[in-house]
Amino acid sequence: MCNEQFESKPFKRLLSTRFTKTRAQHYSIQMAFYVANRRDCWGYVQGSAPLEVKKLIWQHEEDELIGRKSEGKQDHITLAIKEGEVFGLSADAFERTPPLEGGEVCFSAWIRLAQRSWLEAIAASTILEMRNSGELIDDGSLSRRIGAMLERDLGIPMKKQINTAEHVVMDVEHAHLLMQVARRYADTEGARKAILRGAAESLMIDRVYRGHLADMLEALPEA
Amino acid sequence: MDTLGDLLKILDQMVNDQFESIEFKKFLGVPLTLERGRFYVVQNALYTSNRRDCWGYVQGGAPLEVKRIIWEHESDELVHDPRAGMDHYALSVKQGEVIGLKPEDFEKAEVPSMVRACFYAWHHVAMHNHWLSAYTASHMLERRNNGKIVKGGGMSYRVGKKFENELGINLKRMISLDVHVVADTDHSENISEMFGRYVKTPEDCELVLKGARESMAIDRAYRGALGYYMEQIN
Repeated sequence: MCNEQFESKPFKRLLSTRFTKTRAQHYSIQMAFYVANRRDCWGYVQGSAPLEVKKLIWQHEEDELIGRKSEGKQDHITLAIKEGEVFGLSADAFERTPPLEGGEVCFSAWIRLAQRSWLEAIAASTILEMRNSGELIDDGSLSRRIGAMLERDLGIPMKKQINTAEHVVMDVEHAHLLMQVARRYADTEGARKAILRGAAESLMIDRVYRGHLADMLEALPEA
Repeated sequence: MDTLGDLLKILDQMVNDQFESIEFKKFLGVPLTLERGRFYVVQNALYTSNRRDCWGYVQGGAPLEVKRIIWEHESDELVHDPRAGMDHYALSVKQGEVIGLKPEDFEKAEVPSMVRACFYAWHHVAMHNHWLSAYTASHMLERRNNGKIVKGGGMSYRVGKKFENELGINLKRMISLDVHVVADTDHSENISEMFGRYVKTPEDCELVLKGARESMAIDRAYRGALGYYMEQIN
């Protein structure tokens, strides 16, 4: 399912775009909203999950929301804003720029999915990290592919794209969460179907969202 | 008008008023027996689990800065409270040993129907309200447990004293109740600080009060239900 995302029209359109500095700035800001929406959804998933799974999500959210202080790592929102500096963005730009309308609709849809039964909800959130796992995606995760495009089009090396580089690594680790949970809880046909339903609906929203991002980039000048 | 100062006074009054309600008086007036004490300790662990659900939902709806405060809060509750050396659910189970409960007694525990209704009601408030209302709803249960605010002691303190006076079990041995006497004072103060940042208008105050009123109503129903079920145990 995750690999097939990359064969969809919206993904192909997004990944065939050429980045300019302005396009990269807008993309970077919208990704910060996406990261914030992930935090909303994971909170709801944590709320409905069994106690043992809540603990796993709490640890997951340490990376995302707080940062692994012991390893000197920053939270992912701060990273997204810091990464913006390499595209010439100030922190203000993130506060001033509204989310895309289509993006807002997708964020609401993801929140709605996060408030469903916990197995659907956790599958919906983890599948986005599986789609971003270099271990699972044949020709590189979404973050890696976008990072490579920014390097190709703007000459910004991956290591300077600190948020993208972090996600290339972290989402490999985070992508294991669903399988950890499934091994213990997907013990009935109903449970397995719930996981697949949550994953499929989330990937559908993901395709719509990437289509909106492609529209946004295409509407900005090519040079 | 000192909007925030007035609001906090109202919240303080509300948590004190809880103890004057017929439901709280009924619950705190039921004489404890060992069996009733066991029922209470198991039910309190289920209540702790419901709190974890609700705080997760509140975290989902809150602004980023508030999410971080809740994440820290949940570190004590869900993962490890340095005051206790364990998380709060494990603490409840450990406390059960003092009155002869085993971990299985917690695992197989049923949520009685009136209690279940209250848990669902708290879920609803946490998930389907403006974040300020949801946040306040969860916060108020810790404020109601804060001995610096509640005259005569918060709920954990009073229940702990009942175990001491009626069953002869020293409060210090009721480790979960004892930790909550302190932990909920700290938690309610940390969480309350956020009101200073986000409550600026009369509309914000109304959102806070809405959450407080709804949670306190459910809390009264919950305590009334516990009192009712405890009375059925000989």
